[in-house]
Amino acid sequence: MQTVTLSLKEKNTIPIEADAINPDNFASKSKDDIAAIMVWYGNAQSPIGDLFDVSIDGSDSAGNTKIIINGDVSRVKRIGQDMSAGEIVINSSVDMHCGSNMTGGKITINGDADSWLGCEMKGGEIELNGNGGYYVGGGYRGEACGMKGGKITVTGNVRDYLGEHICGGEIVVKGDVGLLPGISNSGGKIVIEGNTTMPASEMKSGTIIVKGKVAELMPTFKEDGTEEVDGVTYRKLLGDVNIAGSKGVLLVK
Amino acid sequence: MSELLIKNAVVCDPINKINCEKMDISVKDGKIVDSVSSGAKVIDAGGKLTMAGGVDGHTHCAGKINVGRFMSPHDMRMTNVPGLSGKEAPTATTRAQVGYNTPNAFAIGYRYAKLGYTTIGEAAIPIIGARHTHEEFEAIPILDKFGLTLFGSNWQVMEYIRDDEPEKLAAYVAWGLKASRGYGIKIVNPGGGEAWGWGKNVSGLDDPVPNFDVTPAQIVVGLAEANEKLNLPHSIHLHCNNLGKPGNYETTIATMKLLENIKSKRDRQVLHVTHVQFNAYGGTSWRDFESAAPQVSDYINTTDHMTFDLGQAIFGPAMTMTADGPVEYSNSRMLHAKWSNMDVELEDASGVVPITYSPKNFVNAVQWAIGLELALLVKDPWKVMFTTDSPNGGSFVNYPEAYTYLMSAKRRAEVIETLPEMALGRMNIPGIDRELDLYELAIMTRAMQSKMYCMDTKGHIGVGADADIAIYDLKPDSVDTSVEYAAVKKAFSGATYTIKGGEVVVKDGEITMTPEGRTYWVNAKMPQAVNDAMQVDLVQKFKRYYTVNQANYMVEDAYLPHPVEITTEAI
Amino acid sequence: MAVITDAICSLCGSLCDDITVTVENNVITDVERACILGRNKFVGMFLHDRIESPMIRKNGELVDVSYEEAIDEAAKILVNSKRTLSYGWCSTSCEAISKAIQLAEETGSLIDSTANVCHGPSALAVQEKGGPSATLGVVKNRADLIIFWGCNPAHAHPRHMSRYSSFSKGFFTQKGRKDRKMVVVDVRKTDTAKLADKYVELEQGSDYLYLAAIRSIVNGHEDVVPEVVAGVPKEEIIEVANTLKEAKFSCIFYGMGVTQSRSKYKNGDMVSSLISDLNQHSKSVMIGMRGHYNVTGFGQVATWETGFPMAIDFTRGAPYYNPGETGANDVLVRGDVDAAIIAAADAGAHFPQESLKYLAKIPVIQIDPYANPTTELSDVVFPAAVVGVEAEGTAYRMDGISLRMKKLIDTKFKTDEEITVDLINKVRELKGGA
Ligand code: SF4
Ligand SMILES: [Zn+2]
Repeated sequence: MQTVTLSLKEKNTIPIEADAINPDNFASKSKDDIAAIMVWYGNAQSPIGDLFDVSIDGSDSAGNTKIIINGDVSRVKRIGQDMSAGEIVINSSVDMHCGSNMTGGKITINGDADSWLGCEMKGGEIELNGNGGYYVGGGYRGEACGMKGGKITVTGNVRDYLGEHICGGEIVVKGDVGLLPGISNSGGKIVIEGNTTMPASEMKSGTIIVKGKVAELMPTFKEDGTEEVDGVTYRKLLGDVNIAGSKGVLLVK
Repeated sequence: MSELLIKNAVVCDPINKINCEKMDISVKDGKIVDSVSSGAKVIDAGGKLTMAGGVDGHTHCAGKINVGRFMSPHDMRMTNVPGLSGKEAPTATTRAQVGYNTPNAFAIGYRYAKLGYTTIGEAAIPIIGARHTHEEFEAIPILDKFGLTLFGSNWQVMEYIRDDEPEKLAAYVAWGLKASRGYGIKIVNPGGGEAWGWGKNVSGLDDPVPNFDVTPAQIVVGLAEANEKLNLPHSIHLHCNNLGKPGNYETTIATMKLLENIKSKRDRQVLHVTHVQFNAYGGTSWRDFESAAPQVSDYINTTDHMTFDLGQAIFGPAMTMTADGPVEYSNSRMLHAKWSNMDVELEDASGVVPITYSPKNFVNAVQWAIGLELALLVKDPWKVMFTTDSPNGGSFVNYPEAYTYLMSAKRRAEVIETLPEMALGRMNIPGIDRELDLYELAIMTRAMQSKMYCMDTKGHIGVGADADIAIYDLKPDSVDTSVEYAAVKKAFSGATYTIKGGEVVVKDGEITMTPEGRTYWVNAKMPQAVNDAMQVDLVQKFKRYYTVNQANYMVEDAYLPHPVEITTEAI
Repeated sequence: MAVITDAICSLCGSLCDDITVTVENNVITDVERACILGRNKFVGMFLHDRIESPMIRKNGELVDVSYEEAIDEAAKILVNSKRTLSYGWCSTSCEAISKAIQLAEETGSLIDSTANVCHGPSALAVQEKGGPSATLGVVKNRADLIIFWGCNPAHAHPRHMSRYSSFSKGFFTQKGRKDRKMVVVDVRKTDTAKLADKYVELEQGSDYLYLAAIRSIVNGHEDVVPEVVAGVPKEEIIEVANTLKEAKFSCIFYGMGVTQSRSKYKNGDMVSSLISDLNQHSKSVMIGMRGHYNVTGFGQVATWETGFPMAIDFTRGAPYYNPGETGANDVLVRGDVDAAIIAAADAGAHFPQESLKYLAKIPVIQIDPYANPTTELSDVVFPAAVVGVEAEGTAYRMDGISLRMKKLIDTKFKTDEEITVDLINKVRELKGGA
């Protein structure tokens, strides 16, 4: 087991872009090696050691590497981007793109996460113990697919466009969700325990379950009786009727 | 200016009938000359393959490609072909680069140069949008450029053909070329662009264009006659009706036959048919879809009046863009893909739709085969221009990969192995063992272009030609291109040297300098009296129907900082 | 006295190119055919406060300095910045925009246009679904149905309806307005709506639902549409859907009411999908009613030079694009930049308070002909020529047609392009010296 602890020395305002912070990049590296890895700070690069206090315990493969991040990293973007294994625990709020395109491993965030959390992720797990921003599990501009695999769990609320273009994997949000969750869903599963607005628009396939209130239902779904999930009975809606060959299922109260 | 001596070059120069022979090349002031002084800078080619700079005579590099870029921010981070795609930060010599199918203008210049290409032709300029095309031309570094102007659904053209006014038609075409600073006549789905103004299409050569009482066949013949009356350096450049539809090969052959009796004073074809891969489809539906490359090739082998280009499909993501508006709309509905459209007042239509050619998809697999079949079944390589109709069949950065398909049956067999069983019965490529040699490749990628565009300073390295030269890391004496296809691909992916106008712009696959390229356009002269008569009609068009005043319509000189004006006299 | 014909009005995205301008003693004394907005641009420039000299803020006051001193100071700001925001560049020429992009690239800055506060969401919509469009002349010659959605051309684009749309006459529309049906969809009855055959009033922010309902009907799924959507009864939605289906050629012109209301770019995305569906039945296209005369040009130039139409971030060298993260207001609200250069646009007048508060804290460079609220926030100010009047150059009409703007009168002021080139050279000099 290798444990790397990073503590941000001083809170930044110009964002740090820290895609270099992930277990694949840290595994079996020494403290000095890790401190020397470059991250972007504005339009120049800085060694991690200049921005973070680094401490390290053990040396191991990516799968057995755990990164603990302390200090206020709410202006540090891209932590855990592209990670394939291991674990990251962030004891603060975190900036955009955390865990984007990850394929494996686990990220735990004990704080809020800004937008594009787990964007286009393909595997692994993200646990957000706080609120999320826009485009949790979504796709980047122009892409046909957002999240394709893995699981994102959010204990708080998230904003608009949750799981936009999701093509696989699962998202569970315990709180409320903003506008248009699961828009263009093509095979993912989204469970919203709180309230939301206009879910499942242009859904092609996959499932969206809303346990709370739906503020505005899209005028693009066909009623198809009821369905029971975990002992709860939902109205079953099929659509979006405007998408050719759609097989999406929307369950609402 | 400067002198350059390239020693020990093994030259493949089909225009001058030089078949991979060792020789020296002398360059002075940007031109190939007989000899240079002893003070000339020397490059030792070390026995490497040396050709004229490549000429891509049909590519989408300025204008409509911007619509493709605009709608595909995801393309900007695609890295499908390492070193020739994706994002790159600026350097001391180069601007920032992005993209794969729709790279930014800078990347287009750098990447073509890396492949050893030095001249490119934009395949479609709407006259009213020509200013934009030239702005993008100016942004493309290094390369020389030219563009073909759209006339195939133009109101003035259709009216003159309907009213049997061949003189005025020629005058209008000459004016349109000047207004757009174009090099030749492009016809896309003749009449179809106008029909698309009402959401319709024309179904074939004899289906009259709604409201204009003229048929696609009449448009094609009328413009071909005008083309020869103006004695233009290029023939008409034609995208046939019914593109992309099963069974369209019959329309394609009928269109080719239609032009058999057109005569030209120039020593070139009277018809160029473009991206024939998309127009050589057999069957009656996608269910019984099959290659009709043999039928089309058989016909081409019997005639000498035409040339064509491939529109080879490359597996992976591509971006279709064409003035064929109705085709793009049906593509987008069929593929459930995003769709951009631009109908152009009084002139034409256009559309842009992304596509992915998958080797697992039976239709795509057959499309891949058709392009290769056309190249290999047509016996005379001087009739064949190599293209992917970039980025319609795939990005030009895949050319080196595609060369290996043409040069190696072994390489083809490897690909064929990955294709679905069902596709194999619908294609002929598995039974074709012809392999192109370097000489034939040089014909299809630069020499035939010199002839078909009557560009006598391009596509060869005889004395008097522009000193546009590519040196590739291949030794023609020792390489076996049918087996060593990996080496072939590598060599063509990053030239050892690309020399443009006598200056070394690429060395060892990297950009070394970025001079500005020139723009070729044709100023065709018609008798003043005919011009004046034509203007009377044109003034009405502007007064009543255009939303741009005639005074603001013509591309101004400011947009061609490095023009090359070719003048012709009407016959 | 000189009379210049076929001049181009560089005020709104209609880019009317039929203006006749009379110049006497280097002053524009008469303007023919321009609307009141355009006229004000041509004639009004002699009334407004021009910035007369380059200025630098010293001890809280802007004081006149030499051009060289201002260039020096501005270049220092750019070189010392970790991340600069370059904003605006829409009331200027494409040639200037190209140089602005180069400056941003060389300084590792982020560059965005006024689309950030108007039609940026339209670009995002095109990136989702594509943009099925046409040149304005196609609409003039063919359209028998014109829909203005969330826009008010009667005020914002005064000659649009007569030159290109409702009242224009064309080849298949010889009778002009009589040959066309005109529908306005908005949240309040605008002056444009008063001219329409039909006005549909939507509940604020419910465009998305209404569009979806129309699509359901057009696609034959009338049954799933509830009795009222977006505050509009079902029968009325059916009526509009049928009007669209039955038209020979329809065009939806959409404005900021669509792009800046709730669901923003998803509204435009839905319009695009509706157009695609409609083409199963008839011909239909969409055109965005762009405001600043060359905001379309910024999108075009930026796209061919960087791959992206706006919100382009060169912080890490290669261009990166992610509106919501890299838009001008995104970075100002978050405090993600430490300097700004604002040209040919008035952020001071159009940005939200939060953004302005941050702008006040960081060094700001302004390039503009006129003193405006942005000047109050600026630390280095360059006076510039009025492009389209005092300088020539290229601009793009709202439909993507580019035109060459003429120089009508002489000026002592440098152009945006010249100032930007001087900045590029000075930045190179400072970097080279470092
Ligand atoms: S409509 Fe716009 S472009 Fe035309 S004159 Fe008025 S302000 Fe100028
Ligand atoms: Zn083409």
